[in-house]
Amino acid sequence: MDIKLKKQVIEIFKVLKEKQADCKASDLAKELNIDYIVLMSSINDLMDVNLGRFKEDEIFQLSLNEEGLSYLKNGLPERQLLNILLERNLKEIEIEELLKSTKLESSIFYIGISNMKKNRWIAQSKATGESKIFLIADKFPETELEKFLKKFEKNDIINYSDLSKKELTQYNILNKRKLINKTKKIQRIISLTEKGKAIKLSEIEELKQISKITSEMLSSGTWKDYNLKPFDVTKPGPLLKAGKLHPMVNLINEIREIFISLGFTEIRGPIVESAFFNFDALFQPQDHPAREMHDTFYLNNPKIAKLPEKERVKAVKETHESGGNSGSLGWGYKWDEKIAKKTLLRTHTTATTIRRLAEYHRNNEAPPIKVFSIDRVFRNEKLDKSHLAEFTQIEGIVIGERVTLCDLIGVIKEFYNKIGFEKVITRPGFFPYTEPSMEIAVYYDKLGEWLEMGGSGIFRPEVTYPWGIENPIRVLAWGLGLERLAMLKYERKDIRDLYINPIKWLRQESY
Amino acid sequence: MPTLDLKIERLERLVGRKLNIKELEYDLQWISLDLEDVNEEEQKIKVEYNPNRPDFSSPEGIARALKGYYEVELGLPSYTIFPGDIEMNVDPSVNRVRPYIVCGVIRDINLDEDEVATLMNIQEQLHWAVGRDRKKVAIGVHDLDKIVPPYRYLAVKPDSVSFVPLHGDGYPMNLEEILLLHEKGIEYAHILEGKEVYPLLLDSNDEVISFPPVINGILTTVTDDTKNLFLDLTGTDYKAINLALNILSTMLADTGAKIENVNVNYQGSMGQIITPNLDPTKWEVNIDYINDYVGLNLTETEMIKCFRKVRMDAKKSKQKGHLDIWVPAFRGDIIHPVDFTEDCAIGYGYFNLPLTIREGCIGQYHPIESFANKLRTIMIGAGYLEVLNFMLTNSEKNFNYMRKKFKKSEIIQIANPVSKEFDTARTAILPKLMETLLFNRSEEKPIRIFEVGDVILLKPKEETGAIRELHLSAVSYHENADFTEIRSTLDFIMMSLGYFNDFEIKPGKDETYIDGRYGEVFVKEIKIGEIGEIHPEVLLNFKLEFPASAFELNIQKLI
Repeated sequence: MDIKLKKQVIEIFKVLKEKQADCKASDLAKELNIDYIVLMSSINDLMDVNLGRFKEDEIFQLSLNEEGLSYLKNGLPERQLLNILLERNLKEIEIEELLKSTKLESSIFYIGISNMKKNRWIAQSKATGESKIFLIADKFPETELEKFLKKFEKNDIINYSDLSKKELTQYNILNKRKLINKTKKIQRIISLTEKGKAIKLSEIEELKQISKITSEMLSSGTWKDYNLKPFDVTKPGPLLKAGKLHPMVNLINEIREIFISLGFTEIRGPIVESAFFNFDALFQPQDHPAREMHDTFYLNNPKIAKLPEKERVKAVKETHESGGNSGSLGWGYKWDEKIAKKTLLRTHTTATTIRRLAEYHRNNEAPPIKVFSIDRVFRNEKLDKSHLAEFTQIEGIVIGERVTLCDLIGVIKEFYNKIGFEKVITRPGFFPYTEPSMEIAVYYDKLGEWLEMGGSGIFRPEVTYPWGIENPIRVLAWGLGLERLAMLKYERKDIRDLYINPIKWLRQESY
Repeated sequence: MPTLDLKIERLERLVGRKLNIKELEYDLQWISLDLEDVNEEEQKIKVEYNPNRPDFSSPEGIARALKGYYEVELGLPSYTIFPGDIEMNVDPSVNRVRPYIVCGVIRDINLDEDEVATLMNIQEQLHWAVGRDRKKVAIGVHDLDKIVPPYRYLAVKPDSVSFVPLHGDGYPMNLEEILLLHEKGIEYAHILEGKEVYPLLLDSNDEVISFPPVINGILTTVTDDTKNLFLDLTGTDYKAINLALNILSTMLADTGAKIENVNVNYQGSMGQIITPNLDPTKWEVNIDYINDYVGLNLTETEMIKCFRKVRMDAKKSKQKGHLDIWVPAFRGDIIHPVDFTEDCAIGYGYFNLPLTIREGCIGQYHPIESFANKLRTIMIGAGYLEVLNFMLTNSEKNFNYMRKKFKKSEIIQIANPVSKEFDTARTAILPKLMETLLFNRSEEKPIRIFEVGDVILLKPKEETGAIRELHLSAVSYHENADFTEIRSTLDFIMMSLGYFNDFEIKPGKDETYIDGRYGEVFVKEIKIGEIGEIHPEVLLNFKLEFPASAFELNIQKLI
């Protein structure tokens, strides 16, 4: 036999052998004056060599509550009341009067009276009109209940399982009177195995084991004298609270890289936007329901935005009213500059795209130009599992000469393939500022379903002509919501999770 | 998006061809319809159509398109209009309130239960899609045989006329009372708000036909016995009321009824008009233009077939290389030659379109976003976890919780938030990080988090009155969080960004931080941010139990 144990474990083993009986871990720790955790780690060592073991018992512990403790000190209400009578040497008293001469609350007072009757100390009568009590006993020995209560003078805590049958009845009374607490505890009972009982101490060798190598051991060479305690390499380590990108930012960066690889340049634009760039420049009629208050965050401060150069505003106005030079019939209403000056939180990044068209015009640029943005947009909605008031839109734009619907399908398929969707369908759709328009659907293997994943189209002439972008120069555009993609990728069910930062999720999510 | 329930059996009858749900599931998408729901048991489907195609608001309308798709019937659907002699006289007084009316008569109707439901539903859908909830267009459907022509459309004083309205208590009410007490009156009173006179339709016996856009009279209620219908469409947009009338009357004609026209007599320049007018609109479109837009190379004949499949007519034009295209009167979405590109592509089949790849252009990141990513890399190296918050916020949390005061005139104010939680945009990131700590306060500590993102600041001189500014904020939250720790982090960041001698922290005072443990961050003598230990009152405002130290930098000043 070749059993090696640490010195401390041997000491504990020795004590257990001397006891020759099972013992409670908490008692033993107290007795040996060592930390409970240290004790249990030693017991584990004993278990490893099959000398010791422990089992876990559920036990219930009883303790008095505050009211119970006060009765332990001052006597139960029935005893307190009795004492008043005995002190004053009275055989009878009106109940009202007794109530006045005690500090007990009236509800407890009546519990006392009722228990005095139960104890056959008193009788009650209304014979004289007033309710009176009469002493009917001459000896008032300690009741069973009081005896039981007294047990708590010595021990704050009594184990429920230690109660005798008699005491159990008394416990039930205390419990009914709400004076006692019963709490569940786990208790560990340590015992030796057959092998542990049989083995002689001389058969155990002391192990010089350490858990760490110190710098001193290394320089002096004494590390050779020690054994390093082995680790349980199968157990996971404690949580590392490390730094990490937010999953959404990680996804945004992946998509940005796809755009860059396809030759697109990133653009950024204002969050606080004018209705002009957000709606009017997109040929959205001023009475269109989508412009209404309940869809859009309009602002009281700042209230009015400046409009761009007069000629551009005029071009947009004329396009709305009669088509301008775009070849359109227009909407046939009177366009109002005031409505266009309203400020709002942009409802789509297309507002920024239009600013890029304006810049194209101002700088006299030439096609082809490819730009993209992945940025925040706002809708006046109540938050719930599937709606946000603020979310992130992905948008790609190509300005090119003689670019076609087939070119748009080409760039869309390439983009979605790179995101990871192999099967992509582009089918007819409708968006107020594109013609022709296309809906994009992708096949999602995990669900085995076609999912709608964005919209696209060629900007209407009514949108591009005011900025001097005239046929055969056209603008292709497509867009989708980042959140929908993120919820698929990270398998979230509640869209709000993406912006409320449950740290547990952020620490665990894999990209 | 509007939706419509369709019974397969009825659709088959209309299309004149066997249909099955599986097949429709695939086919409908190519004529711009989304299948929302399938009920195999009852052989019903629910489809979603786009708001630019109100003619899809009935099974009849969808059947027309499907007949083209399956090549059961091509070209313009044809309708016969029988000449009628019913007159509608328009009094100029209506110009002050609701200037336009058009009418139609439908004879020999024979509607089954399902078709009656469609008639109700199509009115709802047209009110919504074309009528802007009755503001632009209101539709009235009446029993023709209960009223005596000629009819009059006029405007009257609110209290001058009483009649028994439909869906009322059966007692006469005047127009004013209807707006105050009648369910529909209450719902639509806003359309007539501020008007001195209200529109009214009377027959030749001065019986009230309708009080548009609110409610019909009980007199003309349509019942099972109704044989002939009178349609009135009133509104503020002449084009829109005609479109709605055309959609409604062609739908009824498709059920087998006869359309008869009505003479609507305006005074002044409009004169007499005869409605419904189902004449198609003719356009002349360049073939190359369409081919070039879509990316195809169709011959004249091929392109003509595409348009005939989407139920238009097309012929070679007198002008070389052009087509004459006739658009049916129930289509309101063609306002530019470009609108034919989509119809051509639908006729050709989107599924047949080849994909082409255009090369050119070199991509580039936006410098601000690149800088933001650089900061993220540094912060992660420093052991901080990235979080992401809304820019929308609540002014109390953004300021008061941080022990800061604010004036309404100095912050972004949202006029009409649905949720009170969002009444402004954040002016700093730190309050959002504090909220994040509150949300996660039972997580394992230490919690070290950061965010790189925009704040929105009022700048009256700017074009839209506000600007966005890139900020970086970080907070460390645990038992021993203190100034020294956060200062080390900031030093690491500034060093990594290349600032050594030109970066300093000057002592200062700030309500959010503890006095004596707060400093202002300067780079080249320009203040770019704050650093310090969070004031205990702020911690308590966010229900936190440990100290926290933090900084916030305006990164825009470093780019």
